[in-house]
Amino acid sequence: MSTATSHSYLDHLVQSWQKPSTSSWLDQLRANAMDSAGALRMPTTQDEEWRFTDISPLSRLPYPVAQSTFKVQLSDIEHYYLEEASCRLVFVDGQFAPELSNIAHNAGAIIGNLSSLLPTHGDTIARYLGQLAEFENDVFTALNTAFLRDSACIIIPANKSVTTPIHLLFISRQTEVTSYPRCLLIAEAGSHATIIEDYITTEEASYVTNSIVEMNLADSAHINHIRVQRDNQQAFHIGNCTVSLAHASQYHSVSITLGAYISRYNLNVILSGEGAECAADGLVLISERQLADTHTFIDHAQPHGKSRQLHKCIVDSMAHGVFNGKIMVRPHAQLTDSAQLSRNLLLTNKARIDTKPQLEIFADDVKCAHGATVGQLDKEEIFYLKSRGLSDLTARNLLTYAFGGEVIDRIPISSLKRQLEEIVLARTQIS
Amino acid sequence: MSAVLQNLVNQPYKHGFVTEIESDIAPKGLNEEIIRLISSKKNEPEWMLTFRLQAYEKWLSMSEPRWQNVKYPKIDFQSISYYSAPKPKKKLASMDEVDPELLRTFEKLGVPMHERAALAGVAVDVIFDSVSVATTYKEKLAEVGIIFCSISEAVQTHPELVKKYLGTVVPVGDNFYAALNSAVFTDGSFCFIPKGVKCPMDLSTYFRINTEESGQFERTLIIAEEGASVSYLEGCTAPRFDTNQLHAAVVELIALDNAEIKYSTVQNWYAGDEKGIGGIYNFVTKRGLAKGANSRISWTQVETGSAITWKYPSCILRGENSVGEFYSVAVTNNYQQADTGTKMIHIGRNTRSTIISKSISAGHSNSSYRGLVRISPTAENARNYSQCDSMLIGNQCSANTFPYIQVNNNSAKVEHEASTSKIGEDQLFYFLQRGIDTEEAVSMIINGFCKEVFQQLPMEFAVEATKLLSFKLEGSVG
Repeated sequence: MSTATSHSYLDHLVQSWQKPSTSSWLDQLRANAMDSAGALRMPTTQDEEWRFTDISPLSRLPYPVAQSTFKVQLSDIEHYYLEEASCRLVFVDGQFAPELSNIAHNAGAIIGNLSSLLPTHGDTIARYLGQLAEFENDVFTALNTAFLRDSACIIIPANKSVTTPIHLLFISRQTEVTSYPRCLLIAEAGSHATIIEDYITTEEASYVTNSIVEMNLADSAHINHIRVQRDNQQAFHIGNCTVSLAHASQYHSVSITLGAYISRYNLNVILSGEGAECAADGLVLISERQLADTHTFIDHAQPHGKSRQLHKCIVDSMAHGVFNGKIMVRPHAQLTDSAQLSRNLLLTNKARIDTKPQLEIFADDVKCAHGATVGQLDKEEIFYLKSRGLSDLTARNLLTYAFGGEVIDRIPISSLKRQLEEIVLARTQIS
Repeated sequence: MSAVLQNLVNQPYKHGFVTEIESDIAPKGLNEEIIRLISSKKNEPEWMLTFRLQAYEKWLSMSEPRWQNVKYPKIDFQSISYYSAPKPKKKLASMDEVDPELLRTFEKLGVPMHERAALAGVAVDVIFDSVSVATTYKEKLAEVGIIFCSISEAVQTHPELVKKYLGTVVPVGDNFYAALNSAVFTDGSFCFIPKGVKCPMDLSTYFRINTEESGQFERTLIIAEEGASVSYLEGCTAPRFDTNQLHAAVVELIALDNAEIKYSTVQNWYAGDEKGIGGIYNFVTKRGLAKGANSRISWTQVETGSAITWKYPSCILRGENSVGEFYSVAVTNNYQQADTGTKMIHIGRNTRSTIISKSISAGHSNSSYRGLVRISPTAENARNYSQCDSMLIGNQCSANTFPYIQVNNNSAKVEHEASTSKIGEDQLFYFLQRGIDTEEAVSMIINGFCKEVFQQLPMEFAVEATKLLSFKLEGSVG
């Protein structure tokens, strides 16, 4: 196979890129990212980081960048709105849709899209945008940054507590295109907020979503981050999220992966201040020929850090789940306390799991543990339920649902929790 | 970390001396001629030469692997001498005929061969720089039909068996170092346990690397036929040298229906000095094939030596109900590096495997567990349990875990657990308060940490291993 055909997705995008006309910092950032994208290639299964995730079907698709002309009917998406979230930013194919958004009730937070906040908060944004999401070695991050046109920007001022969740709704409206959703969060010292990052679609055909989230938590900031990916089963979804935690800050995330034909989520959390805390939970529920790959990297760079992780996969029919959870404890990060658990449930004999919980420890006074299990439903548990009068099928359905329910339960927003519970319930019931 | 412990760790290597025996050394470098020379020196049949040349051809097309988590300067494969053998004297029938110089070497190493052989009933096949010098108890084993000899002897006397099994578990082109070994191996052990025979004693070999700069390429082949069982011990010490020596061995085990092979290793080769200069590179391919139904392969290893240890004793569980086990203790100190673990490939139905890995790192050392558990679609009801515990002593060392779990069958049950800990101040205080000094306390804690693995070792190895660990880590904790 010649390189020209195998990398046509990338080549196509690189060729379509237009050199920016100005020399502003933003255009400079885009140009630098494009230089990287041009020098990189699409990952293959020969690359250790992509060993189990074959994205060659994507490599062959010449999907251009999404145009911003498409409109969405309110009635198509209204049911995704969350009653608790009074503050909502809606992006259609990566472009801000002000008519669908509502940022009036921002409770003191500075919320908006990139172009609306640049005039007033340009300096702050310039300091953070593109800093955590390093594009030098990652072709998808490089592409997103090079085609950066819009972004959700959230600044939580110091000691401000935003009680209602902020809902970021990213809608894919066009097919056979690539969209580049992006989000930048700056949580100043002592601030507190809940962010919901939600990917949905109104279409049934294939498209590519390549998203980037950067979250900067200053001292003692506390952020809850809920990520829901419910693309359709033809879509490709590549998501990158990088979080930096300063002294005594806390980051709690729950990531739910339901959709996409091939999806990949990279979550990088750097505990760069002492005493930072991180909880990163995940649920992957896939079936048919779906492939869902979750790569997490929790980097304990300073002492007294704490991290907890529970990642669960329910894999049905011929689907394939991949998990790679790396925990690094740097030489001076003494008294780190870290625990990670990867649990996987295979529902059919064609389903497949590749899991790799990974520890790299360079400090001696630490407590680190990880575990992984792969299996089917426990026969004893099924027997117990049957002895209580449940049928075999009901017992199995109940246990499968409960397996996923443990992660859903950790979502602090009841309406979203209900929505997801219904989806998990519907997906786990065999009749 | 206390000074007492530091001092204890920094004990010099006790087995460093060179035995002066006239060696027959081939010129440095590797090419087809050298391979032909090795083959003709050993008077090998044509098929053996073909095997070597095939491997050499594969090796030429391969490149040195770089994915492992160890660092070392590039090895110049052309500056190694690929053949070195003590000058043949005469055929030996008893221990008395062995070169007294050689015997003294073993004496210094604390290997009282005849004594051990007599008391413990161990038949020792001594490998001294690639050539088997003396084999004891051969006759006793021959009575029950067991063939236990050097592999070069087996090529002469039992070519049909060697030809049938050699390279079937580790193919010639399996990996870079296995290909190199297949091309140039000079000697090793061969063991064949016929149908229904339970080997009456533990079989054992001692490897020594003697001639400076001669890479040693051992080849071991163990076959247990239907219903047979054997316990095989491999123990290693090497003299002190300042140039790094490459050791690339290949071990193949084959267990047929209901057969059982237990392979135990204690490795204490020269690890380099406290600055990380010198030491052995131990790049080994060990693999067992549980071919028959109800067969069992068990690896136990205590790795304390070598500058770099890089090996993954593996089990291919093909037979129904076959069992694979891996028990490992890896101790690294100073600038030692170890990247070790296992692969359990489940192919047959109802196959089971257990992995218990303990690693202890001190000084500036780096220890990694890298393991693979693969459940193939055909492996109905496969079961695996893995546990990897690491202990760090000091804050200059590191411990890593890379467990790969690949499951393709939903009836499988796979569990993996890992933890990292250190010797706590309060643990030591508890011992001190009971009147047990630091040194002994550390030794007790470490032995407790490794107990699950030591229990798997044959008696005399367990004693040796316990001692080894304590003097290896003497002075590093506190």
